[in-house]
Amino acid sequence: MNALDIDKLRAHVAGLPGGGLDAIRQQAVAALARTGLPSTRDEAFKYTDLSEIGALSRAWLEQPTRPPISAEAARRIDEVTATGGIDWLVIANGDLNAVLARPAGPVSFERLSESLHRPRPASALEPLTALNAALLEDGLVIRVDASPEQPLGLLVIDDAGDAPGLSQLRIDIEVAAGQSLEFVEYYLSTGEEAHYSNAVLQLDLREGSSARHLRLQDRDVRHSQTQRLDVRLERDAAFTSASFDLGGRLTRNDLNVDLTSPGSSAEFSGLYLSADGQHVDNHTRVDHRTGPTVSRQEYRGILFGRSRAVWNGKAMVHEGADGTDAQQANHNLLLSEHAEIDTKPELEIYAEDVRCAHGTTVGQLDDRALFYLRSRGLDADDARRLLVHAFAAEILSAAPIDAIAPHLEALLDTRLTAIDDVSLSV
Amino acid sequence: MLKIDNLHVRTGDAEILHGLTLEVNAGEVHAIMGPNGSGKSTLAQAVAGHEDYEITEGTIEFLGQDIGELDPEERAREGLFLGFQYPVEIPGVNNAYLLKAALNAKRKQAGEGEIDAYEFLKLAREKMALLDMDPKFLNRGVNEGFSGGEKKRNEILQMAVLEPKLAILDETDSGLDIDALKAVAQGVNALRSPDRAIVLVTHYQRLLDYITPDVVHVLSAGRIVHSGDKSLATELEDRGYDWVVEAASA
Repeated sequence: MNALDIDKLRAHVAGLPGGGLDAIRQQAVAALARTGLPSTRDEAFKYTDLSEIGALSRAWLEQPTRPPISAEAARRIDEVTATGGIDWLVIANGDLNAVLARPAGPVSFERLSESLHRPRPASALEPLTALNAALLEDGLVIRVDASPEQPLGLLVIDDAGDAPGLSQLRIDIEVAAGQSLEFVEYYLSTGEEAHYSNAVLQLDLREGSSARHLRLQDRDVRHSQTQRLDVRLERDAAFTSASFDLGGRLTRNDLNVDLTSPGSSAEFSGLYLSADGQHVDNHTRVDHRTGPTVSRQEYRGILFGRSRAVWNGKAMVHEGADGTDAQQANHNLLLSEHAEIDTKPELEIYAEDVRCAHGTTVGQLDDRALFYLRSRGLDADDARRLLVHAFAAEILSAAPIDAIAPHLEALLDTRLTAIDDVSLSV
Repeated sequence: MLKIDNLHVRTGDAEILHGLTLEVNAGEVHAIMGPNGSGKSTLAQAVAGHEDYEITEGTIEFLGQDIGELDPEERAREGLFLGFQYPVEIPGVNNAYLLKAALNAKRKQAGEGEIDAYEFLKLAREKMALLDMDPKFLNRGVNEGFSGGEKKRNEILQMAVLEPKLAILDETDSGLDIDALKAVAQGVNALRSPDRAIVLVTHYQRLLDYITPDVVHVLSAGRIVHSGDKSLATELEDRGYDWVVEAASA
């Protein structure tokens, strides 16, 4: 068990600003007292060891700090928010004030503690969500009453300046019936110390609404994050998403999609890179509660050096969900003999008339393609790079938000080139 | 141009070529014919520099230089082109990108600068028109989802853009319908010139109705066993390979 010091936790929680979050905090502390943080004995964390995160959390509780934003962090914020065509919201070291100060328009922003909106209770008992609920100072509720003209960009930056940092982020988004939202989640971090960020998001898509979503994680390789996004879709709602994990030390993402009603659909993809010392884990779950509902997912991983990646995709087709169409795929490119991937598609089907398929592959670069490119005069290294980019391009081209595409492409290029230069020189 | 002397090539555990000798001069078109398993594709791959094909004895000289130790990309930049029997599909790599990168690799070797975007597009479109190819193929993934005929046309397009000194076309005619065959032949014929050599590796005589070879060779069991003029191809079509193979082993 990856236990926390519950007395320290209780003492810290007692000192947090009061308001509407007290009850849930108490529940969360009680849950954590029972379970502790996940350990590798928990099925869902079999391949992802959170003991370092547990140690960091314990150390932080000894001396909770929230350092000011450094010049470097400010520079990174400017760099990202210069990307045009996106309405940027910045949350720097957990400070929600800049977002809350925005005038209400078609999209409104409220404190979770003051909102009538109440988080869906089911997830409160899961340990990382409980940790989030216990330590959260406040969360953000975003209501989309009418489709905004521009995509919303949520830039979350954590700066671990002079002491190990811990941050909790909680955002609930609700898109009103028939409306559509495009939004970007962008995670960055700076600073030399260790840092762990734990984000919990909920997205509610009301009848006939839609969301196009892109998550980009480019944290410093000293910093870890867990992130959970629960998406709930009503009748005829649609969720389209792509995620990109380029940085981070330990990254764990849980994407849970609940297709509650006929006509709802989810199409999502992900690309993850891992190089020396990095660990990236994507867990997805799609619940098909009725038919007809559609889910499609494709994740691709590129692994270099001594690194490890995990993909676990589960499709749960509930009783009576006839007309379900669920497809899942995970493809991995292993570019080092020291890299390791654990990939596991899971289908649980309790309905009769369904179309479900899954496929996973783990491989190296195609020798035939390499020879073909070289026979056309391309250097062996250039040919390799081209094939790695081509593998990534399949996910990149499916990215649902055009305004961030050039930034994303350039960033991916930079990261791939940097990793490649290191792994080539080894 | 190309001078192969007593070439022995091994792949895996098996020696496939057992002392093959062949000379091709500038301006000539040679056809290498032979039954399945005779070593035709091994010859093409070995000359292009595939690392799975190990030269255990003999030499391959190209433009007076022994190229046996050169990487495939070095051979390509010297002006050697292999048209693949099975062109590889590379999703995510744009056809135009590959064409341009290949052309620039060759230009760099020749000490020239990179081709500018406009010039490249003009050149590519011109060559595509010659091959009766839809310009939209430029923006697709390399050979991705191409039919057999489209893949072969794409090989000829690359050859036409790169203008190699020596082109080896491995079974370029296989799987082509008559229109594609004519288009491919037209592309090859347009490239015939006194300072260029072309080697057609083929199982059937059909392609040679459209591209007239200067010399026809029969490859059997890893050696050239018979050579003749273009009439040899017709004779092989009528009589099969057995008589040549038997005469050679007699």
